[in-house]
Amino acid sequence: MPDVPSTRLVYDALLVTSLDDAYKPATGPRVTGLGIGAALLAELVLSQHVVVWAAKGVDLLCFDERFRPPEDSLALWLVEHVRAERTALGVRDWLEFLSAADVYTKTAEHMAMLGLMVRHEYRSRWTRRVEHGYEPSDALFANAVFSRLRRQLSLAERQTSVEDAYLLGLTAAVGLSKPLFYQLPPGVHVYAEKQRQSLPAPLRALLAHLAAAVADTAITGGR
Amino acid sequence: MSTVPSAPSAVQAVLARNKLGTFSLLHFSLTAATPLTVIAGGVVVMFALAGEIGIPLGYLIIAVCLWLFSVGYTTMSRHITNAGAFYAFIARGIGRVPGVAAAWVAATAYCAMQISLYGLLGLTAESVLARMGLDASWWVCALVAWLLIGLLGTRAVDINAKVLAILLAVEIAVILLFSVSNFANAADGLPLAAMSPSTLGGEAAGAMLALAVTGFIGFESPTVYGEEAKDRRRTVARATLATVGILAFIYIASSWSIIAAVGADGVVDAAIADPSLMFTLAGDQLGAPWAVIGEVMLLTSVTAAALSFHNTTARYLFALGRERVAPAWLGRTSPRTSSPVTASLTQTVVSGAVIIAWAALGLDPLVHLFYYMSTSAGIGLLALIATCAVAVIVYFARDRRGESLWATRIAPVFAVVALLWVLYLSVLHFHTLLGVEKGSTLPVLVPILFAVLALLGAGWGAYLKRGRPEVYAGIGHGAKAALVTETSEPVGVAGGR
Repeated sequence: MPDVPSTRLVYDALLVTSLDDAYKPATGPRVTGLGIGAALLAELVLSQHVVVWAAKGVDLLCFDERFRPPEDSLALWLVEHVRAERTALGVRDWLEFLSAADVYTKTAEHMAMLGLMVRHEYRSRWTRRVEHGYEPSDALFANAVFSRLRRQLSLAERQTSVEDAYLLGLTAAVGLSKPLFYQLPPGVHVYAEKQRQSLPAPLRALLAHLAAAVADTAITGGR
Repeated sequence: MSTVPSAPSAVQAVLARNKLGTFSLLHFSLTAATPLTVIAGGVVVMFALAGEIGIPLGYLIIAVCLWLFSVGYTTMSRHITNAGAFYAFIARGIGRVPGVAAAWVAATAYCAMQISLYGLLGLTAESVLARMGLDASWWVCALVAWLLIGLLGTRAVDINAKVLAILLAVEIAVILLFSVSNFANAADGLPLAAMSPSTLGGEAAGAMLALAVTGFIGFESPTVYGEEAKDRRRTVARATLATVGILAFIYIASSWSIIAAVGADGVVDAAIADPSLMFTLAGDQLGAPWAVIGEVMLLTSVTAAALSFHNTTARYLFALGRERVAPAWLGRTSPRTSSPVTASLTQTVVSGAVIIAWAALGLDPLVHLFYYMSTSAGIGLLALIATCAVAVIVYFARDRRGESLWATRIAPVFAVVALLWVLYLSVLHFHTLLGVEKGSTLPVLVPILFAVLALLGAGWGAYLKRGRPEVYAGIGHGAKAALVTETSEPVGVAGGR
């Protein structure tokens, strides 16, 4: 049976972080934003629109001198912001910015335009105000990413793609290791770690910054 | 020619919007301290057990020590990441092996401090319920609170912070009201004798100073938010020093007011006869309902204190788990609430076991659990703060990093001398607290326990240095430990696979 095809790293990250089996958020809003932000940055790194550059112990995000605009509006929005900065900002600043700028809603709207998500309105139980949210257009699609990752972990001998190796690291970094590894053989931890280590250095740096940001959220209470 | 400052970019504007000012940091640090618990719970017991009236002076001495310490401490926090925990400063200042030793002492001291509060909590709840005609033993009340705190500890901390903020505002208002009332109804005018150095000359001075330190714990928390402060150079220092100043004012004024209301000659006897002395005075002066209000407020205050220390201990264990200095499972977060869930549950299990053990052995919750354990924790924390002060000196001895001589040399040296003196007195006088003869083995056990923990921690640190260098490299970096290992490799230009 073929794998469920990967749609796009940032969409996959949204599905992993913002939906559990009951369609409830798997992670808190701040961590969801950080996770999706890390996926969007990784996409731009892989497409060579931005580079991660270590300078004086700080990982900076810079735009590639051979700049060409991304075709996708979500990526373009972020690249324009990177270009607009007079001095390069750190990876951590970009993660914080993406979380604060509600990258979740931007990505969900993007997916809704493609028919992958459905925007729906509901009345808040407490405030009685009308609010809106997003749900996957198809139940199978919603669980496809997590199932794909778990399947790859259980077939440990297979070489995963860079995107999926990154997604494995991202899932662990946002604190979803437990559901990811649930009832899988003990050796999958080692396999997942090997996959993470096989990633290019800039992607490993992004994951390390994501893990640090999530841990800081736990220490400072996410304020 | 003047230049027009350019407007910040959209990204910087969003990042700046989330930055914290002095008042926000002050809010976090003051909610970590719960003054009514210190005053109504600690001070009256101190009068009774120490048999001395020098408590306001003790608070003044500790406030000065911590102020001197904070000067260098907040200066160093500008130069290091993960500047939230004392052991991180020690690891970065003196070395990673002493850092691990300090981490083990810190985790134990914070844990003991939190557990000690269940004694006072259970006893206060028992008293409040008795007023309502209900009969419940202290340990039943403590276990109910333990369950509540265990549940809240695994939730998002911002919920806790809002609850703590409301409780803090009310309890400070109650303390100030009671203190003003005490001074207004003074027995013999203002008791200036209470501030005489001779009042701290007795055998219990050290124990009083150790307990006084515990009242200020939480003052160090603004450094946790250093990277999120609006102005890292000034905001954290202002908030830390303001916390020490505000807490010192409250503690000195209210403990002095109790002496004023009862009289310097009778306060010790009154405290021995009535552990609820502060509320009895309020009831006599302001009307009987105020005594009940005070006791109910003490119950909520101790609960808030236990919750606050629970969260602090959990974060400590979490940071150690993230660094892999402690078992890695302690570093797990709850995905949904982002709280350090396994560290929180660990603290809950340990504290529950102690409550059950104390109840089974029939030990006194006020003296054996609250007073003994919190003072013992105070000695551990004093040692930790003193070592941290040494770390500040060593850190800036290598390079002053453009900071002033006062902040990097003079204030830290004064702080080390003062803190070591206070620590020496605390250990020397510990026997009076336990009610045993000078030279007995029992009072020496607490410092020995902390020394053994430090040695074991140092041994573990030395093992990590040889056996697991990647873990060793991340010591003292807490949440950012993974970054240290990752950035040891060049990142370079991205994109290649």
